[in-house]
Amino acid sequence: MTDQHPALSLRGLAKRFDTKVAVAGVDLDVPTGSFYGLLGPNGAGKTTTLSMAVGLLRPDAGQARVLGYDVWADPVRAKGLLGVMPDGVRLFDRLSGAELLAYHGLLRGMDPAVVDQRAAELLDVLALTDAGRTLVVDYSAGMKKKIGLACALLHGPRLLVLDEPFEAVDPVSAALIRDILHRYVVGGGTVIFSSHVMEVVERLCSHVAILAQGRITRVGTLDEVRGDRSLEEVFVEVVGGRTATGEELSWLSR
Amino acid sequence: MAVPVTTPDRPARRVGARHFVRLKLRVMGNNFRGQGWRIALFVVGVLFGLWVAAGAFFALAAPGLAGEPRFALLTAAFGGGLLVLGWLLLPLVFFGVDETLDPARFALLPLPRRTLVTGLFAAALVSVPLLATLVAVAGLVVTAGALGGWAAALVSVLGIVGGLLLCVAAARAVTSAFATMLRSRRVRDLAAVLLAVLAALLGPLQIAVLAAVRHADWDRLTGAARVIGWTPLGAPWTAGVEVAEGRPWAALVKLLITVAALGALLFWWSRTLESAMVGTATAGPSRQRRGPAGGPVAQLFPRAVGWARRDRFGALVARECRYWWRDARRRANLITIAVVGVFVPVMVNLGGSRLVEDGGQAFDGTVPYSSPVRLSLSMLFVGVVASVTLANQFGFDGSAYAANVVAGVPGRLELRARMTAFAVYVVPILVAVAIILATLLGRPAWLGVMAGTLFAAYGVGLAINAFVAVLGGYALPETSNPFAMNSGAGAAKGLLTLLSMVASALVAVPMVLAAALLGGAWLWLALPVGLAYGVGAALLGAYLAGDVLDRRQPELLSAVTPRR
Repeated sequence: MTDQHPALSLRGLAKRFDTKVAVAGVDLDVPTGSFYGLLGPNGAGKTTTLSMAVGLLRPDAGQARVLGYDVWADPVRAKGLLGVMPDGVRLFDRLSGAELLAYHGLLRGMDPAVVDQRAAELLDVLALTDAGRTLVVDYSAGMKKKIGLACALLHGPRLLVLDEPFEAVDPVSAALIRDILHRYVVGGGTVIFSSHVMEVVERLCSHVAILAQGRITRVGTLDEVRGDRSLEEVFVEVVGGRTATGEELSWLSR
Repeated sequence: MAVPVTTPDRPARRVGARHFVRLKLRVMGNNFRGQGWRIALFVVGVLFGLWVAAGAFFALAAPGLAGEPRFALLTAAFGGGLLVLGWLLLPLVFFGVDETLDPARFALLPLPRRTLVTGLFAAALVSVPLLATLVAVAGLVVTAGALGGWAAALVSVLGIVGGLLLCVAAARAVTSAFATMLRSRRVRDLAAVLLAVLAALLGPLQIAVLAAVRHADWDRLTGAARVIGWTPLGAPWTAGVEVAEGRPWAALVKLLITVAALGALLFWWSRTLESAMVGTATAGPSRQRRGPAGGPVAQLFPRAVGWARRDRFGALVARECRYWWRDARRRANLITIAVVGVFVPVMVNLGGSRLVEDGGQAFDGTVPYSSPVRLSLSMLFVGVVASVTLANQFGFDGSAYAANVVAGVPGRLELRARMTAFAVYVVPILVAVAIILATLLGRPAWLGVMAGTLFAAYGVGLAINAFVAVLGGYALPETSNPFAMNSGAGAAKGLLTLLSMVASALVAVPMVLAAALLGGAWLWLALPVGLAYGVGAALLGAYLAGDVLDRRQPELLSAVTPRR
């Protein structure tokens, strides 16, 4: 029955911190099988929106549904279909990579034998086997992203929600992550991720939404959003950035 | 528009201590912004501190008010010395040090070390405990003034100012040195042992003091006070008394001793400060351990919980067990439990029976020493202290708790697993405490009472603290310094701890009543009853608090996530 529903459907999600409105009513439908990019400048509310969508942050108003299951009313069903990699959140980083994967797998109620097999495979593919029993806290930033992705993928979720998966990742690891995500979507999964790296979004995504000041300002397939221009041009125009004229900051050049 | 070009080679204005003080006040103020409950807790903390300080003030002013010069030196030397020791040791053992201004944050600024040390020192002076100490030692000025006139009072003021600076410098220097040691993983084990030994010294010291008071040999006591008065521990506080007794030269020498000690401590601090600053940049060597081979699941489970099923519950228990050992902050708590668990009962029961015959011991004065009741009370205390470690159990995890929220771990399962994992460490400690004490007392027959009360108090404490942790969790700073805590959280931590300890003790009191009323039969009944009471309470607590946790998961997560 879940196939008639969009993989992720947000309706009127809103969140206010003290006096600042972080997210002011977001409606979004992520079709099943799509590769969805959520674009926005820093502070636009990407992390807040995704946190509310996966049940990490209680919204002031609105609904989030994963394949038809309400994240806040029926969390067990919804969370079972979700794989999440939050940004700015620590992992249980005093475990080694293998231990962390085992923890996540068992926490999802998986069979220990399956956990062992999949964890070993993921560590191998993500080139983390060499780290051995190094604790995740001692990993480099790129390795932390990779192990975080592995934790999100381990239980074979139907929808993958990734917050800034390409931040602080070197080009080699980024290419690897891209390939894995691509294969995941080809295999029938759905991905939504936030980013402000235009090249990555243009290369990977089938759909794009631009978030600015807590609202969705553009949404649609990649071609609909960018038209005949580059995505970066559209983005800067929508967000309303400014460019340096050369007058100010003259003291920077001696 | 023409922009004036300034060359950055020479800073236009010098950075001074007042900048650090203003920065600290600003950070403290921002911590309170929009957080009504934090302000309330802060006010309660301040009032409590002032209340205690007022008591100490009158104790120290008593010799002057009563016109008893005989006691002036005694109170000044012993009272002041205990204050310095308290400032030295309490941050290490219990409270942690206020890292509102983390030295590591200044690592990139072009500040000379002298400016940094004086600035951080000045900022450290802005604290509530120091204010309370100031109120307390003002009593010394009253005594000196009453006995020796204005000159003595003036010297006494100089003395206590020096003494207060000494207290802060000692606390900073020691915690900074320990923090640096603990940051590097290799010496962490050694440091933990040192810390335990240091904390352990508190017990014998107190016994010795009690013995001295008990034997009330005033001449010998005065002699001891004189000796202490010439050490940095007592010098600042006794300078005023010296003037009152007509020895101004001695007062001068004592002030010089104070200044010298202060200088030495600041120098030591400035040395360790530098390594603390670079310490975060090179966050310790990566640990390449070659463990026993095996699948990821086998690696996750430590041997101590090898019995656990390989399911959600087992995974939670295994992860918690790993954390109690690998997280320096948690391990410091375990050491505290072990040390307090052994020494407090020894002091109350052994020390109490031999040394305190006037009923001055806080617990009870009517029952004969080392009775099952007194024993039960001390065991109750140990059990409660052991369990109160979990009062902020989610704060230890910080934002990492998000993984459990995303996975939708049921609250009851979560709490049961955390209790189980903690018990894996604490139950052996408790059993050891009971056995050690029974051996020391020469009363193996009381083993059952001791163990039963311990388990009951511990189990009840687990239940209470499950609620406290779910409802009152707060964020701990994400540093590798196990002694660090937020300034705003200081009062919150103290109050929550106190609250949950009182509540746990109240619920566990039936065990003590039974010891008082049932007599001989209780010796045999205590263990099974206590065990059942403790386990039952813990399970009930997990059941009820787990329900609350299910409804509060996202709120708890944001409460324990450090603000950046």
